[in-house]
Amino acid sequence: MSPSNIVLRTERLHKSFENQEVLQGINLEIPQGQIVGLLGANGSGKTTLIKCLLGLLKPSAGKSELLGEPSWDLSVKAKDRLGYVPQEPALLPWMPVQSHANYVGAFYEHWSRDRVSRWLKVWDVDPKKQVGKLSVGQRQKLATILALGHDPELLILDEPVASLDPAARRQFMQSLIELAEDERHTVLFSTHIMSDVERVASHVAIMHGGEIAYYGELDQLKDRIKRVRLTRDEDFPATTECPLAIHSRVEGRHLLLSVDRDRLSYDELAERYSAKLEVIDLNLEEIFLDLCGGHEAAFAIGGESTR
Amino acid sequence: MQITPAQFDIHPSSGVPIYRQLMDQVAALVVGGQVQAGDMLPSVREMGTALGVNMMTVSKAYARLEAEGVVERIRGRGMAIATTESTGTVAERSRELRPHMEQAVVRGRQLGLTDEQIRRVLDGVLKD
Repeated sequence: MSPSNIVLRTERLHKSFENQEVLQGINLEIPQGQIVGLLGANGSGKTTLIKCLLGLLKPSAGKSELLGEPSWDLSVKAKDRLGYVPQEPALLPWMPVQSHANYVGAFYEHWSRDRVSRWLKVWDVDPKKQVGKLSVGQRQKLATILALGHDPELLILDEPVASLDPAARRQFMQSLIELAEDERHTVLFSTHIMSDVERVASHVAIMHGGEIAYYGELDQLKDRIKRVRLTRDEDFPATTECPLAIHSRVEGRHLLLSVDRDRLSYDELAERYSAKLEVIDLNLEEIFLDLCGGHEAAFAIGGESTR
Repeated sequence: MQITPAQFDIHPSSGVPIYRQLMDQVAALVVGGQVQAGDMLPSVREMGTALGVNMMTVSKAYARLEAEGVVERIRGRGMAIATTESTGTVAERSRELRPHMEQAVVRGRQLGLTDEQIRRVLDGVLKD
């Protein structure tokens, strides 16, 4: 992958507020064409990271770059290739939808009125309605449409579906899929809804403890992280530890371990505990909970470009 | 015949990656006889949109199925179910069959059948 294909890069990025260090050395490198789901518990720093990437917050230390330029000093040209929808979009409530779209469009060199009109229609937002009279979900849709009007190469969304109903959410995710189809577009979106990520994301970045605990292909994550159930005749001591496991739990004769297949072999485990071993597939939510609730060993899981 | 996305059933929140669900389901359609060689798979775009999954995931499933010889790329038309042609030498194909035969023989011995009786069963199967 040549460096020019990297649309977003951070290096040992730190951000502190007063005496709280929210980002503790984020290393992330996202190439063009990926749809990346950014996951993390509440307060894990997803929004802070997004704001640092966009140059809306100044990092305390480290580097952050977007489209090859330093985030804190983005040129107008770079901003023209960028779309962003914040958690709570700032819109002008007194304007009718269509005028609002025209107003935003005036700031961009390549604005497509047709595209905006099409999306307004698809998403059922009335162009004549006053923005202030739209529902929360419709305002979210409008903000997204406004962020898409100039066909940005990189789209960053902070919890885009939080206020959408299931049907609108599905529709929204659908449009992300269509947007990223040509592999020229890159999308980074933060969310708590794992099933959305599982459907549309090609990659995931999981934040935990102010760092990136995993970044890589979603499929690879699911192929690698498995739960094994070890069963033997007598009880396991409650203190049984497995140093390389991401998560472990003892239940009588069963020892449940979440493991990274690349780091622990099943045969070795079965032999070490002289137990029968079964392998269970985990979905993203279970992997996420184990990764973020397990011990520090979890952090050793490197995705493809975590340095 | 054209295969449609409606013949697929994707569970995003299962522990099995979506590309593998797609691969398994194509294989199941082939094995189950619901699709024949030459039947066209939906385009990547059609699949992605209809099932609401990432197009790259669909391409990945198709590429792997192609590598495994389950489907073949037909230029300008898309992906078709491959004709199950014998590939490899007779020796290679025999080697592939051997473990299955071993299993059958072991089972036959467990049932207390003599070698001659096992052979007779096999002959019977071959005649069918």
